[in-house]
Amino acid sequence: MNNTGKNQAIFTPELAVTQGVIFNIQRFSIHDGPGVRTAVFFKGCNLRCKWCHNPESIEHKPSLEFYPAKCIGCGACFAVCPVSAHIMQPIGQGGEHIIDRSKCIRCLECTDTCYAGALVGVGQTVTAEYVVENVKSEMPYYQHSGGGVTFSGGECMVQPNFLYAVLVGCKEAGVHTAVDTAGNVPWEFFQRIDSFVDMYLYDVKAASPEVHRAMTGAGNELIIDNLKKICRPGKRVWIRIPYVPGFNDGEIPGIADILCELEAEAKSSGREYAFERVELLPYHKLGASKYEALGIGDPTDGTVPPTGAEAERVVEYLRGRGLRAYKP
Amino acid sequence: MLNTERTVLRPVYAERIKSLHDDKLAINDFKLKTIGVGKFDIDDWGFVYFPDFKFEPIGADKPYGYRYIGTNFRRFLEQMPKYVNKNSALGGAWIKPITDYMPIGWAPEDEPPEELRALWRKYDTYPGFGAMNHCAGDINIGLQLGWGGLLEKVRYYRKLNNPVDTAFYDCEEDIILGTQAFVAGVAAEARRMAAEEADPWFKKNLLEIAQMNEWLIYNPPRTLREACQFIAHFQTIDRTYFVGGALGQLDEMLRPYYERDKAAGLIEDDEAVWYLASLFFNDTHYSQIAGLTPDGSRDMTSRMSFLVLDAMHYLRIPINIAVRVSDLVHPELLRRALEYILEDGTGASFSLNKGIEEGYARNGYPIQLARQRIKVGCNWCAIPGREYPLQDVTRANMAFAFWHALQDIRDGERTLEKLFERTCHHIKVIVDSIKQGYDLHYERVGRNRPEVVYNLFMHGCIERGLNCSEGGVDILNFNIDGVGLATVADSFTAIEQRVIKEGRLSWDELYRILDANYEGYENERLMLKNISRFGAPDSPARKWALAIRDFFVKTCKESGTPKYNLPIIPGLFSHGAIYDYGKKLPATPNGRKAGEPISHSSEPDPGFATGLNTFSPTLKATAVAETQPGYGNSAPLHLDIDTEMLEKHGGIDALIALIHAHNNMGGTLINLNCLNERILREAHENPSTHPDLIVRVTGYSAFFASLSKSYRQQIIDRFLSKNG
Repeated sequence: MNNTGKNQAIFTPELAVTQGVIFNIQRFSIHDGPGVRTAVFFKGCNLRCKWCHNPESIEHKPSLEFYPAKCIGCGACFAVCPVSAHIMQPIGQGGEHIIDRSKCIRCLECTDTCYAGALVGVGQTVTAEYVVENVKSEMPYYQHSGGGVTFSGGECMVQPNFLYAVLVGCKEAGVHTAVDTAGNVPWEFFQRIDSFVDMYLYDVKAASPEVHRAMTGAGNELIIDNLKKICRPGKRVWIRIPYVPGFNDGEIPGIADILCELEAEAKSSGREYAFERVELLPYHKLGASKYEALGIGDPTDGTVPPTGAEAERVVEYLRGRGLRAYKP
Repeated sequence: MLNTERTVLRPVYAERIKSLHDDKLAINDFKLKTIGVGKFDIDDWGFVYFPDFKFEPIGADKPYGYRYIGTNFRRFLEQMPKYVNKNSALGGAWIKPITDYMPIGWAPEDEPPEELRALWRKYDTYPGFGAMNHCAGDINIGLQLGWGGLLEKVRYYRKLNNPVDTAFYDCEEDIILGTQAFVAGVAAEARRMAAEEADPWFKKNLLEIAQMNEWLIYNPPRTLREACQFIAHFQTIDRTYFVGGALGQLDEMLRPYYERDKAAGLIEDDEAVWYLASLFFNDTHYSQIAGLTPDGSRDMTSRMSFLVLDAMHYLRIPINIAVRVSDLVHPELLRRALEYILEDGTGASFSLNKGIEEGYARNGYPIQLARQRIKVGCNWCAIPGREYPLQDVTRANMAFAFWHALQDIRDGERTLEKLFERTCHHIKVIVDSIKQGYDLHYERVGRNRPEVVYNLFMHGCIERGLNCSEGGVDILNFNIDGVGLATVADSFTAIEQRVIKEGRLSWDELYRILDANYEGYENERLMLKNISRFGAPDSPARKWALAIRDFFVKTCKESGTPKYNLPIIPGLFSHGAIYDYGKKLPATPNGRKAGEPISHSSEPDPGFATGLNTFSPTLKATAVAETQPGYGNSAPLHLDIDTEMLEKHGGIDALIALIHAHNNMGGTLINLNCLNERILREAHENPSTHPDLIVRVTGYSAFFASLSKSYRQQIIDRFLSKNG
């Protein structure tokens, strides 16, 4: 497998018009890899992590967010909705504008009439060229910081053709590329993109397959197997561990075991390390309002984010195991 | 090897600087209570208020000209209270602008004609005619000569030139004699306080202040402390007279004194920091540190540059220091400036060399000269002592031009092309009217309101017997600032999208809605507001912003002033007064109601980024870099960053990258705050809860608590639009 990062692929017009679904382009991101980066968030994921802080990223199809506090009661959404999903409750039953989610077909017609911004469509089909142009527009900021683009999600690897196209376009433009993935895809998916990827940000959520399945809906055998394959000479890898008290805090020692084993293997073959660093990502509540806006329950409701000191203790534990751990 | 370490203060200097910080808060609190909140919106000054002091001018029936000003300014300096603070290394303070104590007006025959004033009223233009103080002296002239040497110089050239009318020289002599009396008064007050002081440390300090000032009455400074004292007195007379605020390249100005004192074993770094803190306590004059040498071969950062930052950090009051950033800027200096901003919330601003120097060179000046054009004002630069650069005194309100254009096409050809053509027409009328005013300014300001303080520190004024505005210096430039760029660009885009392309509104409906000031049309207002606005990627507003910018710049540059062909340099700077500039402006199609503020300088409006592309400082930075006027005058970028973001690993590196990238993209100035939402909200609700919160409003910093509600709201809007 080519792991030099060099390639001959050209961002052809055919690749440029490849379509994909994304929900956010976040510039000046400093938490998604080295330097100043543009994070492109793909929509759709093949895991169902109970603590997901981007619930709008889970489904591939567009999502509808509703922020009642912004609604000015103009009624435009009622007029355009083809399935009458917007309902004004009778005064006696609350008198509120609500959405019947069972009827909503996600056409997002209503968002186009909602100038107040109470109804927001999440997810847009765009071309690879659109993404590459937006990424390139930030080039001066990458050049002074060693930054670049990070493809994230959702799970960017579940749109393999689109991911391939944007990676080729970005590499052709000389942009440093990172792929942020949970790794729950066939190894062939990695093989296809690998020579256009400068580094991976790789999530390890649990050590035990059972716990992983309970927390995310899928076992982790494939994920660990892929992890072992990408941690090889010449490829930068940052491991990311979400830390969610009550969900995976008991898994930290097991994760450390897996990582230490990888390190040991690397050292035995004469390499300095298997991966550059381990980042601990403490759970936070910033996704809570999004669950409400999407009309779905928050599975972490009641979960208390760890304190800074608690997170530091975990980082110290990982360091104690000989891992280069940080809390970004 | 340059020492880049943070200065560690011995307890005695830490205590002195802490006491100066506390004294400043007390002085500020007294000013707020006696003068009022919101009186310091345009700058936070270092004056110490003496409410009981009264002054009676002589000859106030003709309150203008050299004789009236010279005579009375001298008397004022002699009579004004002499403030000495025993925690400070320096004596003296200014007490308020002299114009609060005596009128300084115009000869009636020198007022601009009514037809010109009518135009200025029509477009709510700030014409720049009669503006004062926006130039910079070369303080090194004074440091080398001292007040005695300056006096001899004035007398020498009066004798050499032997003019029939000696008013110019008499006035300048009066200014120096008044200053010498003031310095002597400070010395006497320090002696009086020393006699009453029981504490031996303070007694010694007060005696040193007395001796230093006694020396400085006639003689040039010899040590770093004396140099700081000389500059403090310059600040006092400069601020007193029309609130001048320009200082210069502070690190290089003081470096020789520091190096001499260090070599002689006279001072340690913490003493130097105390001197500098005392200087900053004295006033908020504008200075620069770092920057390229004239030949461009190296950055001028020295130990003194780091000490300046240390003094700002330890004193923590509003201070106006800019770091001139080039590709060669000392990386540790830039990092230290950002570390202090993170720790203190605010600190230095960042003046960017490419846009300023290469832009200035496009006016026909050598780049070596352009590199000496340093940041000495809230947003503006000048070549100290060699240029009359009149900036920051005009406002060509392009939003008003747009509004008149919209009225022009109401009953005629309702097209975007016609609207643009008429907007350009009105911009040209405004620019031409300012140019006409500048001709009058050039002819008349010297005989009415001469720059009596700066003239002493200029290369040529005393030698020629000429005010700096009328040829006392070799280089004269006149700036015209356009304001409201995003308001205009977004208004064009709103019409283009909602009326022309989508047809959601007709022209008739648009006029009806605007005439009604959006009353009863909230949904339509939101429809017009929530378009793809200037600053957002792919926004059509970009092309309108560039087209308006291009026309404005071309109109400014295509000819000088009509009578004297004085050179014009365009800028896009609104200061912080965007509420004032919107007060008289009717509703505009970008969803802005009548009287609401216009957009800031060439910046996108808060909340411009929506949808796929969420807010990023780089989006704003790119928009500002792309719309620079391009001739060396600043169009600033304001960034209010959440402290939490910066505290994380890599935060400062990211800001360093942003600053360098903005420089290389042609930006000119970055004003940076690191704020915390909770503290900001509390301080906005009740300013007294955070009396020492400092913010950089635009090019200047101020206590948040001193600002009026509308100015505080501006900071809140900027910050929360991307965090809320």
